Parts: sequence; C-alpha cells; structure tokens
Amino acid sequence: MKEVEKVFIGGLKEELMEDKVIDESQLAPGFAEEIKKYGGKDVMTCLQCGNCTGVCPISLKIDYKTRNIIKCCQFGLKKYILSTRWVCATCYRCYEHCPADLNPAEIMIALRHIAVREGIIPPFVKTAATNLVKYGQSVRPDEEIDKIRRELGLKPVHTHDPSFKSVIREIQVLVHASKYDKLIGIQEEVKV
Amino acid sequence: MAEPAKQDNTGAVTPKTEDGAAAGPKIGVFICHCGSNIAGVVDCGKVRQAAEKLPGVTVAKENKYTCSDLGQEEIIKAIRENGIERVVVASCSPRLHEPTFRKCIERAGLNAYLLHMVNIREQCSWVHSQEKEKATDKATDLVKMGVSKASMLQPLAAREVPVEPVSLVIGAGVAGIQAALDLANMGFKVNVVETQPSIGGKMAQLDKTFPTGDCAICILAPKMVELARHPNITLLSYSDVEEVKGHIGSYEVKVRRKSRFVHEDKCVGCGLCAEACPVKVDNEFDLGFGQRKAIYVPFPQAVPLKYTIDKENCLHFKSGKCLLCAKACSNQAIDHKMQDEVITLKVGTIIVATGYETYVPMRKGVYKYWEFDNVITGLELERLLNASGPTGGHLVRPSDGQVPKRIAFIQCVGSRNKKINKNYCSRVCCMYAIKDSQIINEHEPKTEVAVYYNDIRAFGKGFEELYHRVREEYGVEFIRGRPAKLTEDPNTKAITIRAEETLLNKITEREFDLVVLSTGLIPSPGSEKIGKVLNLAVSPDGFFSEAHPKLRPVDTAIDGIFLAGCCQGPKDIPDSVAQAKAAASSAAAPMYAKKVWIEPLTAVVDQELCVGCGLCVELCPYGSPELVPGEKGGMKARAIEALCHGCGTCAASCPQKAISPMQFTDTQIFSEIEAALHEPTKKQNGKKKAEAEVS
Repeated sequence: MKEVEKVFIGGLKEELMEDKVIDESQLAPGFAEEIKKYGGKDVMTCLQCGNCTGVCPISLKIDYKTRNIIKCCQFGLKKYILSTRWVCATCYRCYEHCPADLNPAEIMIALRHIAVREGIIPPFVKTAATNLVKYGQSVRPDEEIDKIRRELGLKPVHTHDPSFKSVIREIQVLVHASKYDKLIGIQEEVKV
Repeated sequence: MAEPAKQDNTGAVTPKTEDGAAAGPKIGVFICHCGSNIAGVVDCGKVRQAAEKLPGVTVAKENKYTCSDLGQEEIIKAIRENGIERVVVASCSPRLHEPTFRKCIERAGLNAYLLHMVNIREQCSWVHSQEKEKATDKATDLVKMGVSKASMLQPLAAREVPVEPVSLVIGAGVAGIQAALDLANMGFKVNVVETQPSIGGKMAQLDKTFPTGDCAICILAPKMVELARHPNITLLSYSDVEEVKGHIGSYEVKVRRKSRFVHEDKCVGCGLCAEACPVKVDNEFDLGFGQRKAIYVPFPQAVPLKYTIDKENCLHFKSGKCLLCAKACSNQAIDHKMQDEVITLKVGTIIVATGYETYVPMRKGVYKYWEFDNVITGLELERLLNASGPTGGHLVRPSDGQVPKRIAFIQCVGSRNKKINKNYCSRVCCMYAIKDSQIINEHEPKTEVAVYYNDIRAFGKGFEELYHRVREEYGVEFIRGRPAKLTEDPNTKAITIRAEETLLNKITEREFDLVVLSTGLIPSPGSEKIGKVLNLAVSPDGFFSEAHPKLRPVDTAIDGIFLAGCCQGPKDIPDSVAQAKAAASSAAAPMYAKKVWIEPLTAVVDQELCVGCGLCVELCPYGSPELVPGEKGGMKARAIEALCHGCGTCAASCPQKAISPMQFTDTQIFSEIEAALHEPTKKQNGKKKAEAEVS
C-alpha cells in the first residue's frame, strides 16, 4: 500500500482481508440513521452500480472505491470506514452521476463528522486545524512558500500583514464559541 | 339505561327508548376489524360503545370482516329485524367496498344510496399505526360524523342507460390490434384509430422477440392483415382522436382523418409513385438509418398498404410544381388538394392502447449518443439486425460500415434513474439486450459481447433459460457496473468504456467497436394528448393509471374506458397481448348486456336560486351544465345528467349556492362538521380548551 493511501484511506483493504467472516458483532446497527443525522442522504437507496467509483478523480490515483464505502455504510461496517474518509475532495462528480440521487460526497463529510466525534482524527487533520487557529488558514505559511511567491513575482502572503491579526482573532473566537477546538483536541491555547 | 348482557363483543345493543329513536331514521353502525388491519390499531370495542350512544343509532356491531358473507348477513338481519333505515359501515375506503355494501343493503330492501361508508382504515389505522389511542379517538369521531351525515341521506335512483355495442380502440400496436380483433370476433363493431400511416406500432420495428426468437413482423403481420380485412372492424389509419364527449354507453368521438393526399380507395400500393418521386428523406421507421421518398409506405408489410405524402418534404407543397407522383399513378389516386376530414363516431366503450416511445439519451449525456457515431440505441440495433431494415439484416457499425467484432450493451439508460425522473424499471431492456446478444452471435459468430448491467431481471417464462443460454453458448460477458465514461478513438472510432466491475472491485477500461444503449420505455407523446381528451389519470411515471393496481388492472377511473399495453406501463409483448385480451373482455361486458347503471351522484341546480351567471358552464371539465331559458324567464343553468361526473366543481364555485351534488349537499357536509366539532368525548381527553375555542 502506498504511503498516501495509508494516510488517507486507512486500513480498509487490510481489515477486509483480515476478516474472513463478517458477523453481527462487527456491525454497527443504526449506522445509516447516524449518517443521515450528519447530513448524508439515505445510503440504503444506493443501487451499488459503481458509477461513483468510475467518475471519481481520486480513483485514478489511488485505490479508492466510493461504492465500497457506501456499501460499508449500508451494512453497518462502521469500524472499517471511520479510520477515515479524508481523501474525498468533495468535487461532487459522484453526485452529478448518481442514478439513485444520493450524494456520496456529503456522506463522506458525514463520516468525517462521526469519526471526529468518536475521536478518530488523523494527525494531519489535527495539524491543519491547529494551523487554522494559529495562523488563520489551514496551510501554514512558511519560508518555502514565500520564496516561490517571490520568484513568481507575487506579493507575500496576506497573513504576514499586521492587519490580518484581527482576522485570526475572529477565527479564534468562532473556534472557541463553537467548541471546535475541544472537538478536534487542538493543543494551542485560545485566549478569548 | 342498563347495558344488555353480552356474550361477546359483537352483540346487539338494546334499542333506545322510542322517544329517542323517533327523532330521525333508525341507524345501524357496523364496525369492521378488517382482520388486524383496523383492530390492530383502533380499539373497535370502544368505537362501538361510543356509536351506541349516538342519536338515532339502534344497532351497533363489530365484525372481523364486514365484507364477508357473515358480515353482510348481519347487516341484512339488522335491516329486516331491527328496522334499520340508514346504514353506516366503518371500514376501508369506499373505493374498495362501497359497491359491495350497496348491493348488500339493496338485497335487504333498502335503497342502495342510504349507505354511508366511514374510512377508518386508509384514513385512520394505516396512517396512525404508531398512535393507537389517538387513532381510536379519531375513528370514534369519524363514525360520529358518518352517523350524523347518514341521518341526512336521501334515497336516490340509479339510472339505466343503453350501451352502444360499438367499441373504439385508440392505437393499433400489438395491444390495440389484439383488443380490436377479440372484440370483433365476439361480434361487436370496432373502430380502430391509428395516428401513423400504418398499423403495427413498435412491434413492427423489432427484429426478433424474446425469449423464443420469433420474427416480430412474421407473427404480427397476419394479425395486421386480419384486422384490416375483418368485416366488424373499421380501420381509421393516419387519424387522430380529437374530442370525446359523453359517458359509458354513448361516447361521441370526433376523429380527424389526416389527409394522405392519396385516395385510400384508389391506391393499390403498387409503388410507381414512390419510384417517380425525386425527394429522399430519412425514414423514421428505420430511425434515420434508411431512406424513403416523400410519398411512401413506412415498411413493406404496412397495413393498409396505401401511400402517404409527407407534406413537409413534398416538392409540390414547397414549390407548387413537380407532381411527378400524380403523373406516375395509373389509378389517379393522388390528389394534392385533399383536405383533412373530421368524422363523428358513436361508441359504447373505448380501449386506449397508445403505446410507448423509447427514451432518447440526453444531448450532453455521459453516453455520448449524439457525439459518437458508434453509440446507438437498442431500437436502432433492431433495425440494423432486421432483414427488411436499412442494411438488409447485415449488422454493421454506423461510422464505417464495418462488421463490429466487440459490442457492449449499457443497461438502464433512461430507467431506474432518479436524476432524470425515470425511477421505474422499463422491464424489457434486460431481455432485449440478452436476446440481441444471441442474434448478433447468430449473424456473426464469435462476436465478443459484453453487457454492463445493474441487475438482470429475467423474470418471465423462458427468460432465465435464455440468460443462461447466451452465457453458455456464446460466452456473453456480464459486467456488473454502470459505465462512468465513454471515450472515442479519433482514428478507429472504437469506444473505450470506463466502469467499475463492482463484483471484482476493480475499475475496468475496455474497448468496443459498437456500443448499444439499452434505452428504456417512456409514455408516447400521443398519450398526453389522449389523456387530456379522455380525462384519464396519470401515474407519477407518466403512464396512465389503472383503477386498482391488483383488482382492476385494465379499467380506468372512468367507466367504459379501458387500458391495454404499454400506455399503462412498460411491458413486453406477451403481457401487452394478455392485457389487451383482458381489456377486450372488460369492454365486452357492458356491450353484451346492452345496458349499464349510472350513479345518480350528479349535480342538481335549484332553479329558484340560479341567476344564470354561467360560471358553472365555464368551469365544468365535462361540459355538463347548459344555460336554458327558465320557466319564469331569464337564463337558468341545468346539469345534463349523462355528462355530469359529480365532481362538485360547479357547486363549489356557484355564487348563489344553487347547485348541490347529490350525497354531498351542504346540509349533509355541515352536519358532519357539526358532529366533529360538538363532541363531549373530547373533554375526556383533556381538550377542554380546544373545544372552548371552537364553540
């Protein structure tokens, strides 16, 4: 398995290989309802036609099957897929093509919601969230980026601007008020 | 008053004191358990106890199945022994059993219209299965309303009308042809109206039929000829139904006979005119693959074999010159000045068999039907395989005329897709793709065929066996996945299909010479027009809806109009023929009896109140009310009973409140409302406040 696959799609393939038989002890009842609660449409209507996999741009690069994940959702195989689906770019192409009028991209987002609430957060998500609180954007501005920008004749990133401090402040207030920092477990102290 | 001793919960109530009963007619209430359909939710015993206390109620009983023989006997007994004058049955929808109970009380000597049905199943127990107590309260209220209305019911008399023993069949595909032949063979006169120049419909375009592989036209053509020659059948081809008035027994139908510009009686179908015609256009019958002249018959086996001039393309209609066809005709059959003719038919019953159309893939769709030459539809493939088709039955691909060695079918194009609002399964595509993959291999052995499918539905007699045979004998490959992307090689014009093989869990990319889209079935464009003319109900999928999905599959909600074939929903040839035969026998019943009873539930105009404003005349969807001079001068509205369907539009709109629909009069409806609002039992449920507000 490629490194990128490990980071983004977790051990879905290995876990599926390991489990010779899937019995009830491995199923999470009411998983489909839980997905609905977090904004996904009814996964039970999926026909498993595979159109979403075929149109998915991510599937061109790595072994990622949208249909497979929806099947796991239908089945209640929560344990396979919560480790988790961060690779989806939410381009909504799957939604555009889905004959059952499901929206797999939004199901992915719902799965992220569920995973985070269960404390399954990949390190890079934590890093991005910490960056957001610290610098006001999820990608940390560094020397390397500044250098490339200079070479291309672009202005320095606006986060260097002193006036951007108030923006960061606003983000911090929002993050604190919505308890996003606690949810993700951001280490950075937010002073409000 | 002491409660009488009861052996079970279905015992009779002691009649009320004579003072109490004398106020109005004696009412009997019969509460049905409907097995557990109602009793599983509603406490029927409680409802009965409440009903017993209602004014006028002399008998209140419960039954497991009121519609059963036993239940009906109990109603009859109550009428005969207890002198019941009005009957309230609290059970299912009147749509289901109103006729049953009307007949029942009629047997006991009561007027059939002194029955009121209270729906405590569809409108109560089925929808409130989670709230049993509230459902019981609601059922009690509904019964109270019903009893109140029942006391207001007046006897009505059904009218007997004669039935013209003539039928009209609209559409002459295989279903229309079969229905017409069956009726004609029973001895009834039949008018067949077909909008196309030839009868035969879609079946005439097909090559072979599944699962047996019979040649479609070989089995259809004899029926087409039989229809044209039958002494009891009048064939009106190239004609449209424009207007239908009346009711079962006597429909008045206006049919426009479109001008062919060729006299049918003179044309012998020799084809000299077509030879002479200089204009060539695409033949619709071959879906644009073949060509025809501007004067044409759509296909060699056409019935009637009469030529038709296509006005759009004829040079004479464009430039005023030419007339080569007229010169070539040795029979002087051609007349460019011919006009449309409108004729009126009087028929007793109508069979609608307007068929279907195939789904046309979207312009900018994923499957590139409009962009790639080698992407065709299933019906186009039928024409390419057909011996009388544009290629003489030689299967070639459109881009270069080469024989394709690798062919893919894509299933469910225009079916089972919520995105395009086609949620239904078209029922024939699986089997025609499987059948075509067999025929392709018979034409060109060792052709590689792959079918991209979601589910294979091989449900009919001999279907599964054919599905097995194509895999066994021809090695047809079935790939479970809906293709995501089609790309064309600009040089070879071969098409690469990208799809997930869901059973392998792998994305596949395979190249094919020809791609066939198994397009689904949609309602024919003519259906919409006919539906409006006949006021037919349409299901969400766009096909006509039958009166009852199980028990009245060929009837419509309108008496005397029946459905046959694909206009009611996608179906294959055996099912279409079966439904046509059923429609023919249903249509024959009233025509054989020569008379039919019509419900007296029509609108009645109070001549005193009517001011002759004419609003009802404008609004009536059936053309029933008319304005006539009143006895004391001035114009007055009068409902023509035969045309009135009792819909109530006129009554609701009348500014003078002069119109009452029978059995739905204002007094009857207000009595129901009053019963609903003035209920002492509501206090028991802590609804004092609510009651105080309304009263």
